[in-house]
Amino acid sequence: MKARDPHTLAGAYALDAIDDEVELRRFERHLAACAECAQETATLAETAARLGAAVAAEPPPGLRARVLAEIEQVRQLPPEVASTPRVRRMGAVTWRPWLTALCVAAALAVVAGLGVTTLQARQELEQARRAEQRITAVLTADDARTVTAPATGVGRGGRGTVVVSRSRGAMVFWAAGLGDPPAGRVYQLWRLAPGRITSAGLLASSGSGGTVPVLSATDSDVDRVGVTVEPTGGSRQPTTTPLLLLNVPAA
Amino acid sequence: MRARDQSPVGEDCPPGLEELLQAVGKGDRGAFERLYEVLAPRVFGLVLRVLRDRAHSEEVAQEVLVEVWRGAARYEPGKGSVMAWVLTIAHRRAIDRVRSAQAGMDREERAARLEPYRPFDEVPELVVGRLEGERLRRCLDGLTELQRESVTFAYYGGYSYREVAELVKAPLGTVKTRMRDGLIRLRDCLGVGR
Repeated sequence: MKARDPHTLAGAYALDAIDDEVELRRFERHLAACAECAQETATLAETAARLGAAVAAEPPPGLRARVLAEIEQVRQLPPEVASTPRVRRMGAVTWRPWLTALCVAAALAVVAGLGVTTLQARQELEQARRAEQRITAVLTADDARTVTAPATGVGRGGRGTVVVSRSRGAMVFWAAGLGDPPAGRVYQLWRLAPGRITSAGLLASSGSGGTVPVLSATDSDVDRVGVTVEPTGGSRQPTTTPLLLLNVPAA
Repeated sequence: MRARDQSPVGEDCPPGLEELLQAVGKGDRGAFERLYEVLAPRVFGLVLRVLRDRAHSEEVAQEVLVEVWRGAARYEPGKGSVMAWVLTIAHRRAIDRVRSAQAGMDREERAARLEPYRPFDEVPELVVGRLEGERLRRCLDGLTELQRESVTFAYYGGYSYREVAELVKAPLGTVKTRMRDGLIRLRDCLGVGR
């Protein structure tokens, strides 16, 4: 049963008592659109935290040393540039427009196949060349780092590679040996940051079981990329388990 | 002085948590160690309260404290107190752990989880700051029974509002409403406001 007035969920939300992801997202969309509700929910969350502050327990003796050791390995997030609505967990995210995948090889193939150089083809070629230059710039950047990981899933081979240049704020991703997605499905690339998943576009087949390289902007807090199988046209948020998940190296 | 500094979350909360967290956001490890002393008992206490398992709680508390280090620069003072920011992270992580453990349970195990629950008074953890604890208790006493149960079962017990509705045998809509008006009453009694 769904609430007719989503605002009645403010208390349950502040208590983390909504276990239905769909309902949770709907409520968060409501919050994003209603400043008054967001304000009330914030004061209720602050109140819930008072309940939390009233209990305490002696932490185990080894905890301090483990935490202090771990932070040596953890890079801190930079301050957020713009104030964004409160986000939580994966999925409950602000949606950002994403760069369309630039399918260099596909565009080149189109041009070559035409045989005649029409104006449109010249433009496509130019576009492809610029995209290729941007890709090359990432691949050859001084701080370019490469990570390759195998795809998971029964009977599935293949691997994905990401090259990231933090100084350029961009990455290039491609996969090999994945095979074609099932009929009516596509491969979609995702950028994962704490509390946020954004699409980095659909992956076009390279014709040999792999995908053409995709150039994507990368915020500094993006720490993984993943590939999922989605219905044709792609999804706003991943709907299946990633078949590829790669850690994006920090700067 | 801002309002929240005059009514800190626990009276043994040292002032200056915001300054410490800001220093942590700039990579100050010394500041993090001082912050750890204040936060660790609260984070561990809350997580333990929800999970009721020391080993799991220790793991989750570690994640939360590392997250404080990682995200310190993202804290926005205008949006709430440092303690609320940290405890919100801690509570969500604990709840996430409860829910992912539940996802692996079958129906009978889930039903069993709904049987034994602990009311507010039962868990013998230290209540931080006697005055603040007293005040909270008084304010909780000011709620109706259904409000109090709805709020505390969800928050301390880690139950979803659906589970709470089963526990207290009340309709879903009623429980949702009691969670909201219960928290509002608690908020006004505690003087939480901005």
